[in-house]
Amino acid sequence: MDFVLTQLSGFAGAFTDLALDPLTYAYLIVSVFLGITFGALPGLTATLAVTILTGFFGNKIPLDYSLIALLGAYVGAIYGGSYPAILLNIPGTAASAATAMDGHPLAKAGRGGEALGLTTTASFIGTLIGTIALLVFVWLLLLLSKNIASPEKALLALFGILLSGTLMSEDLVIKGWIAGLIGLAMAMVGLDPLLSEPRYTFGWSYLLSGFQVVPVLMGAFAVPQIIEGMRHMNAGQVIQPMGRILPNMAAIRRYMPTIARSGVIGTGVGALPGVGEDVAGWVSYGVGKSVSKEGSKFGKGSLEGLLSSETANNACIGGALIPLLVLGIPGSPPAAALMGAFKINNIIPGPTIDPEIILRVVAIMVLASFTMFIMGLFTARVFIRILRLPQVVFLPIVMVLTTIGSFSVGGGINDLYLMLGVGFAAYFMNLLKIPIAPLVIGVILGGLFDETFRRSLLISGGDLSVFALRPVAAILLGLNVALVLSQVPVVKRTYMKLSGRTG
Amino acid sequence: MDEDTEIMRARDFWGALVLMGLSLFFLWRTMDIPLWGGNRAGVSSAAWYNSAAIVPLGIFLALLALSITLLVISIRAGGAQRALTAVGIGWNTAEAVRFSAIGVILFFFIVGLVPRVDFVLSSGLLITALTFGFHQGLRHRMGLAAGAVAFCGSYALVMHLPQSEWAAHDDDWVTLIVWVALTVVMLRRAGGDRVLKAVPYIAVIAPLVLVSAMAFGFRQNVPNRGGLLFKQIEYHYYVTIRPIWRS
Repeated sequence: MDFVLTQLSGFAGAFTDLALDPLTYAYLIVSVFLGITFGALPGLTATLAVTILTGFFGNKIPLDYSLIALLGAYVGAIYGGSYPAILLNIPGTAASAATAMDGHPLAKAGRGGEALGLTTTASFIGTLIGTIALLVFVWLLLLLSKNIASPEKALLALFGILLSGTLMSEDLVIKGWIAGLIGLAMAMVGLDPLLSEPRYTFGWSYLLSGFQVVPVLMGAFAVPQIIEGMRHMNAGQVIQPMGRILPNMAAIRRYMPTIARSGVIGTGVGALPGVGEDVAGWVSYGVGKSVSKEGSKFGKGSLEGLLSSETANNACIGGALIPLLVLGIPGSPPAAALMGAFKINNIIPGPTIDPEIILRVVAIMVLASFTMFIMGLFTARVFIRILRLPQVVFLPIVMVLTTIGSFSVGGGINDLYLMLGVGFAAYFMNLLKIPIAPLVIGVILGGLFDETFRRSLLISGGDLSVFALRPVAAILLGLNVALVLSQVPVVKRTYMKLSGRTG
Repeated sequence: MDEDTEIMRARDFWGALVLMGLSLFFLWRTMDIPLWGGNRAGVSSAAWYNSAAIVPLGIFLALLALSITLLVISIRAGGAQRALTAVGIGWNTAEAVRFSAIGVILFFFIVGLVPRVDFVLSSGLLITALTFGFHQGLRHRMGLAAGAVAFCGSYALVMHLPQSEWAAHDDDWVTLIVWVALTVVMLRRAGGDRVLKAVPYIAVIAPLVLVSAMAFGFRQNVPNRGGLLFKQIEYHYYVTIRPIWRS
């Protein structure tokens, strides 16, 4: 009970501080608006919104405002993707792909206004569910994580990279692992963290400090998007929503169990390292379809289907922040961009993070969700107009934003060369269906893995059993081994045979 | 196996070869880092577990193993047979031209223009070139747009390669002239196209607002502070405008 009261009073203090500061609202309104705009424009993503704003706000304003700007954009962008999904049948972000399944049929049936009202409410409730889970679980996990040392950290970092590689691969799982390894390899460039030994610098002094996170993020997420999006496209016909965009409270009450279930699923999926809002939306949609009495109506304009995906993708945000804040492992690609912002502010997410920051993150999430809800209901027409903009108009501006954002973070012109190189490489990786998110997570966690792995060996005098004899390390090692073995064909076949025999 | 998977396996064949090459190259480079018996600044790195090479060695060996696995999967699925044809890897001429044009524009913008030419001018040219070149998907427009940026970028590169010459203004003038010329060509061909008619406004306003916000709002470094336009903007901001509210 004491724990809950302490949590609530801490949250109330952080919330009051932020709510009484007028600048909070200025940053919230601008960032949520930008986030919804990024989400609503097909071709721009939530990850890109957070990445670009990291370049602008990451280390140029006080941390609180920086977090408001980035989290506001994150929440707004995930919600904003539902506009084109419903009105154009084109998901604005991958997170809204499942929303289009039922949202667009509803819009075609003249219920676009109702669908937008419901997605706004579902996104709002979903964000709050994720945020509550963040407030509760982050502390429980922080208490547990106090006991983890270098071996556990190294295995956790490896698990994060492997798991994101496994779950983010659209094609072969090894492609996700390859992406993670490329990211890890990139993190090896520069002076090594223990002996200051230069590695792969090729005599270029810029590389001594290693690859900077922001240009890598910009290159990995923005440049391929620009290359891919610069093509002639016939803009689809925007279906104008009839009537006012208001939440259908009767439907919300009726489907509250669905909303609650989707919120929990979204939060849980978000908590898995590297797995983003798109997976959360689809998993929740799939579960909803299989357990609902109206499952046969899914895909034909079902309100329950719409609520299942839209609640989950926003709930995923809070979930994705749990491993980021507790373990320093991003739970989704936008969370990886957010981690870049933490890094350039010299904040190391993980067991040693200042608890005040966590409380402020929770308070900002609550404020951002309210801002999103109000903007969604009262300024929806503005975002519907934005949908008509062709990609070839805004992508060049994104390139200029990316350039100036990446340049100003610190490394100057060399950061731009790095950004361009990573961008072209990421474009070809997209062609090969090698996922980009594990690469970015590898770059971010590579330094931590290198340092903690070697420190573990240093302390144990080179005894590898240090990774197996400590209880938590043994569990993590088991998870890593199981994850790899689960993808080996021989093991898969044996498992299938055994499970078939016992079943 | 469907067509998309066959194309993917053919691409995987080339991808695996490139990855194997890179893994082997970096494994060879890793040999430069002392694994046994090293001594740096009086600190002994004699033990293998203390070496800066141990983690990279593991990473590149794992990468090599996964590349070989990918290559085997690709060959078994017939990827090697399809890999030598353009159709096999799903690459057509139109896509190759589109990618090359964007590649040229981005390369010369970042490498040639941004360090040497005023940021408002180079960004204005970039926005005009990208929108005009790719809005309708016409190949000759892509070529013209890429040519305009490549000309300005290569002029800046050739005439002012070393950093000591980046403040020169002749490349700014060349970029301005080419930008205006490209805008005139675009407007002549715009007809009733509202997007192309809006481009000149966007190309001027967007970089101007962004660079001013970054330099004077966030007080951050921006590319080429001594550029033709930015130098004037900065001068008038500090000398003409700022004293108004300062006083």
